[in-house]
Amino acid sequence: MIIEEVLVWIGMIMVGVGAFADLVAAIGFNRFRNFYLRLHAATIGAIWGAFLPLIGASLLATGCYCLGEYRWFMAGGSLVTAILILILAPAGSHALARATHRAGIVPVEPCIVDHLDEKQCVSGGGSG
Amino acid sequence: MIGLGEVQLFILYILPVFITAFILYTIRALRGPSISDIVLAVDSMSYDLAAFLVILAIFFREPILIGTAIVLALWAYSLDIYVSKYLEKKEMGE
Amino acid sequence: MIGPMEIMIGITALAALFSTAATYLAITEKDLVKAVIYSAIQSTIYAFIYYMLMAPDIVLVYIPVAVGLYPAVILVLIRKTERWEKD
Repeated sequence: MIIEEVLVWIGMIMVGVGAFADLVAAIGFNRFRNFYLRLHAATIGAIWGAFLPLIGASLLATGCYCLGEYRWFMAGGSLVTAILILILAPAGSHALARATHRAGIVPVEPCIVDHLDEKQCVSGGGSG
Repeated sequence: MIGLGEVQLFILYILPVFITAFILYTIRALRGPSISDIVLAVDSMSYDLAAFLVILAIFFREPILIGTAIVLALWAYSLDIYVSKYLEKKEMGE
Repeated sequence: MIGPMEIMIGITALAALFSTAATYLAITEKDLVKAVIYSAIQSTIYAFIYYMLMAPDIVLVYIPVAVGLYPAVILVLIRKTERWEKD
């Protein structure tokens, strides 16, 4: 059938884009200078790097006859994991950023303005 | 007709990209300056590891391996919430 | 000739190497909260190693215990006592 082949091709493209986004997020984790800047890389890693390849794996398992009769189970499991990550990852990142800024353990080092707490604003090079 | 051989070959080609990403994540998780950096790196690494486990389950043709990804994603979120509650100086269960 | 089996064994060996580094940092760290999170890194890598050795039932038990319950209990304990380890 043509529709299964299209599903497998779309799934493979989504898995490939997800792997590339994973690499971009990992490089960003090592190149950004500040915790609050690394949150951007974490967003790329969670949505483009985990949600998209899981949806792609679901489509790929749906279309591939070669996986046998259990391919519906694999597709459903990866779809549930994708929806859970879509809900959980932004909530966790937000909770961590809020707690970090309230506790004041990380100074905002390359800082221009910080309206929440002026004392944490340090103009300088940044760490790591 | 596209078969299992092409899909497995594609996953073998995509594998080094994932491995490089995990090595870089682990380096940031091991040398992060503060606690929040380490927790954020572990969190992102766990979500990406869940996606990687599903792709490896398709590679191995083992349907029983799918369930581990759901468990890993849910419990990595719980680690995030524990450390956030500790940093905000609250008791557990508040 | 390097086949898929050798690639998978190589990935497992690399994960074991990084888990050794995480274990060393967890032992020598003076900040106990950081030590708990290094232990969580080691547990995540061990779960991946169990997966690669085709033991998904052990993964299903090991992740809730070592990533979920153990850091929660240790963080409650650090909250009740003190955070920095003395020499």
